[in-house]
Amino acid sequence: MLIYDIQNLVKVYPGQSQPINDRITFQIHQGEIFGILGDNGAGKSTLVRQMVNLLPSSSGTIAFLGKPITTIPQIVQLNVGYMPQESGAVKNLTIAESLYFTAHLRGMSRREACQERDRLLHQWKMIEWRNQPAARLSGGQLRLLRLAVAMAGSPPVLILDEPTNDLDPQRRKLVWENLRQLNREQGTTIILITHDAIEAEKAIGRVGILHAGKLVAIGRPSDLKQQVDRLLRLELFFEPDHPPVLPPDLVCDRHAPGHWRIFLEWDQVEQTLNGLDLNQIDDFRLYSATLEDLYLHYATQS
Amino acid sequence: MQPNRKPLPLLLQLFDLLCMELSNWRWSWQVMVLTATISPVLSIIALGSFVARNDAESLHAILAGSLVMSLMFGNLDNVSSRFAYMRFSGTLDYYATLPIQRSLLMVAVVLAFFVLSLPSLLVTIGFGAWFLHLSLTIHPLILLVIPLCVLPLAGVGAAIGASSPSPEVGGGLTLLVTMLALFVGPVLLPASRLPEIVQTIGYLSPATYAASALKQTLLEPMTSRIVIDLVALTGFLVLTLWLVSRKLK
Repeated sequence: MLIYDIQNLVKVYPGQSQPINDRITFQIHQGEIFGILGDNGAGKSTLVRQMVNLLPSSSGTIAFLGKPITTIPQIVQLNVGYMPQESGAVKNLTIAESLYFTAHLRGMSRREACQERDRLLHQWKMIEWRNQPAARLSGGQLRLLRLAVAMAGSPPVLILDEPTNDLDPQRRKLVWENLRQLNREQGTTIILITHDAIEAEKAIGRVGILHAGKLVAIGRPSDLKQQVDRLLRLELFFEPDHPPVLPPDLVCDRHAPGHWRIFLEWDQVEQTLNGLDLNQIDDFRLYSATLEDLYLHYATQS
Repeated sequence: MQPNRKPLPLLLQLFDLLCMELSNWRWSWQVMVLTATISPVLSIIALGSFVARNDAESLHAILAGSLVMSLMFGNLDNVSSRFAYMRFSGTLDYYATLPIQRSLLMVAVVLAFFVLSLPSLLVTIGFGAWFLHLSLTIHPLILLVIPLCVLPLAGVGAAIGASSPSPEVGGGLTLLVTMLALFVGPVLLPASRLPEIVQTIGYLSPATYAASALKQTLLEPMTSRIVIDLVALTGFLVLTLWLVSRKLK
């Protein structure tokens, strides 16, 4: 079943000449985990805000279950749980209250909403802070609460704007586990914006890459990665004042002081590693292409 | 999908939204009640000290005007800041993605502040009558007049909060509107003490009609003027509700 059908979507903010979304077309199917990747300002958050009726589009259409979303706002509200990048919860409610009221207002009975609250408190390991007001939570705790609030009432579609930002590795793992479980057991359709490329790769079925408002690539990560010419990424870490000397034919991305990234063909690996002076290098790591590399590839190509 | 899932009945939606709005103030209600009480009480003391005890028209204006002031600080100012806060903190987006009636959110915000403004209203009536030596003749119609005074004032606050480009601009505008409403028109001062132009401009302010309706249901015999006051207040209410619903949409 087609959940979202987006056709030629354009968004131009008043007073700006460049569109923030430029003729974007794609579909989301029921039960899939769809990732949206892109750099800051690529138009990702604007796109998802349009998908939940928070922003009007300048032109183009967004259909939800076959009907334009502007004609069925209530169907969208009942079926889509949205987690914005910032805020998105009532700060002075306690965690338990936020979950209960959201589930109840999404159409659950009082009893169901209480059960849903307790289930989410367990699922997100928030039992011990259940009576804490959201305003007193740390950044990571607040993000987990906002994720849980988006899921309260068990909406069959979730749209999550950077659900793992600011989270420590343990909580990040919990988020990915819970999202995979939700998708597997309840068939929840999940659309998410993320910069957590390595973890996302294990969960998402399809990815759309946005660059400067345009959808530059869409497909399964494995299919898209085949187009990256089987590149490998070599990361070098060294004292910033003593950079290593590299063979002249290598293209190097000076990512940060003391941290370079080099993209290599398979047949360049052995020669490059043998040519490195290990006395000049603190550490080196070799990766096969990830979603992040895929994004970098398409962004530089376009 | 959830074809059987329906939005909550409107009354339950309102109950939830009211509980959510009231719970926002559980740590700060004491300060809010105090702020809404102190200004009208101080104005009664300050203005009442300069008025002769036999100048009934002025004394009535001071009490009715102070009640309007209490309602304005308790409702217009607070509702305006709440809507500006909700807009800029993302809370309004959170509500907008839930299957609720948008106008009920405004009603819930207004009701929550109205509940908080009741102690101030009662203290102002009691203290004002005692300090100004006025005898109250309370008409049952006051039960209709008070909500009709509160709602348009709160609606003006909501319209400012939902439209301002920033919370700071919203705060400044609210203060300006409060001061204009209190001093331009026969609210705190009797009509006979005001220049004609100020009286005329006062007809554009809901505070003028609120003060007049409160005077007639608390202190003076009721006249046919009450009909004009109630119609005007209802008109302001409809206008502000329309403006806010349009803005929230």
